[in-house]
Amino acid sequence: MLGVTFISFLLMVYFGPDKTYELLGKNPTEEQIREVRHELGYDRPFLVRYGDYLRELVTFDLGLSDSNGEPVAAILARTLPVSLALVLPGFVIGNLLGLALGLLAAWYRGKWLDKLVMSASVVGMSISFIVIIIGLQILLCTPYGLNLFPVRGWQVDGPGSYLYYVTVPTLALVLVTLGYNTRFYRAVMAEEIERDHIRTLRAYGASPAEQLFKHVLKNSLVPVLTRIMFSIPFVVISGSLLLESYFGIPGIGLVTFNAITSGDQPILKAVVGLTGILFVVALMINDMLYSLVDPRIARP
Amino acid sequence: MTVPALRVSGLSVWIGSGADSIQVVDGVSFDIDPGEATGLVGESGCGKTMTAMAILGLLPSTGVRVSCDHIEINGRDVSRLNTAQRRKVLGRDIAMIFQQPATALDPVFTMGQQISAVYRRHADGNQRRAHEAMLASLESVGFERPEEIAQAYPHELSGGMRQLSMIAMAMVCKPAVIIADEPTTALDSSTRALILHQLQQLQALHGTAMLFISHDLGVVRQSCRNVMVMYCGRLIEKTDCQNLFSHARHPYSAGLLSCIPQLGATRPGRISSIPGQVPALADLPSGCHFAARCNRSEPRCSESTPVLDAQDKKGVACFRPL
Repeated sequence: MLGVTFISFLLMVYFGPDKTYELLGKNPTEEQIREVRHELGYDRPFLVRYGDYLRELVTFDLGLSDSNGEPVAAILARTLPVSLALVLPGFVIGNLLGLALGLLAAWYRGKWLDKLVMSASVVGMSISFIVIIIGLQILLCTPYGLNLFPVRGWQVDGPGSYLYYVTVPTLALVLVTLGYNTRFYRAVMAEEIERDHIRTLRAYGASPAEQLFKHVLKNSLVPVLTRIMFSIPFVVISGSLLLESYFGIPGIGLVTFNAITSGDQPILKAVVGLTGILFVVALMINDMLYSLVDPRIARP
Repeated sequence: MTVPALRVSGLSVWIGSGADSIQVVDGVSFDIDPGEATGLVGESGCGKTMTAMAILGLLPSTGVRVSCDHIEINGRDVSRLNTAQRRKVLGRDIAMIFQQPATALDPVFTMGQQISAVYRRHADGNQRRAHEAMLASLESVGFERPEEIAQAYPHELSGGMRQLSMIAMAMVCKPAVIIADEPTTALDSSTRALILHQLQQLQALHGTAMLFISHDLGVVRQSCRNVMVMYCGRLIEKTDCQNLFSHARHPYSAGLLSCIPQLGATRPGRISSIPGQVPALADLPSGCHFAARCNRSEPRCSESTPVLDAQDKKGVACFRPL
């Protein structure tokens, strides 16, 4: 946690945006530059500034946005739920579908069904995110295609409008992640199916359903959970970054995107710190889940 | 005449397909009566485990070809059953004890869950009665506190306890036939004695037939009345244990026996071995596979194959037996 924030802060301070010249306009004097840098705290020692940053993160007193003066904490509180609502259905569907397809391919490994699923996954993985988004937008959201859903925007005030706005981004997210998920889950499941205790089950007349859904699935929960927990921070931050900027959805991704282009340091600092926290929390929950899933890992 | 508990006839297994296929089991036939224990001995890779897996129908459907005249359990041919019918037989009429209980048991389910699952699948779906049957089975293999074993996960048990639990799992439906594939190979000698003792007791109690696969002649002598010797996928001698040790007839069986180091032998010289090497399965000589290594071979040994009388309890596949 300290490492993540330290490195990201280091990068932001030395390579990130510098507001001095923005505030002063053209041809400032030496005196003015020194004055502004002092005001912004740029002249204070690095470690002191890093300490301030940590204090801000811990107390959620994240300062004001440079671009519109709104408190960063308020911006996050407003946009984070939108992002979660946006990526959650795609995340869940993408993983469940990936699990199902992976299980299917692993059971029929070497057969034509396995080959079909795996080649489809490779095709899915090879198509760029942007192509999928634009393709879906053309197919579903424009008069050239079905024209059923909006190209951009997010005016959600109920389940109906939620579905109206969330469907196309969800489809895009599922299509993008499905190939990766299926391949990963197939590899995990195929390994489990080859294990000796599955052979024991067959020797004692267990049905394929019992083998797969009871024993293979429970045994593979550790890698599966790890993958899911690890991908949460990625999907929430970077997944929404692309989706929101293409669909014009006012979530945390769009805020981050705008902050990057405009050099809004307080927001960037908050988002980076938040991502780090999200990662650490996800990993901690992951470790706790392990002991529930696998009796060989001691209970805390 | 009694119906044999297990009758295997003309069982052959090939690995690979077409011209490249390798025959790993060649026309294996034998009978085991109820309550009888028969050992199947031979070197590693001679086809012992393949034979067991083929009897149970556990070999993968791709890359392996199995053919047989029939496999009967208590007079019922199980070799032509479809998958769903076969599932009903496995674990109920015929059960397998595996070599490595550490990996053959599911690490994330308790022993009790795994054993009662077998009972509920085949005998009685009722949870409470399955629980009782499971505890009874654990008790019958010699556990004094079966409840504790039932609640334990496999990793919490020692190797011997795991194998005893595996035996309890095999016995929970009181099958007619048990196939034990090297059940004591991974265990130390005192645990081995305990396991063999329990197996014999249960077998006598329930009249279970047992096919006991091992490369250890000593273990087979302890636990089996009859014995079959396998070499390169073929059975070459069937006899009873006493006879094999006192008067082995096939030169290969005699060679195997002479390889057992004798405790208290006067001269600690070299451990004797059979000259030559086991031929590669892909390139088996015609006729008797052992002919090239045999000091009694004559021309006809490599021209035609000596055969073993199929369902007899005793016999030797050799033109010039000892």
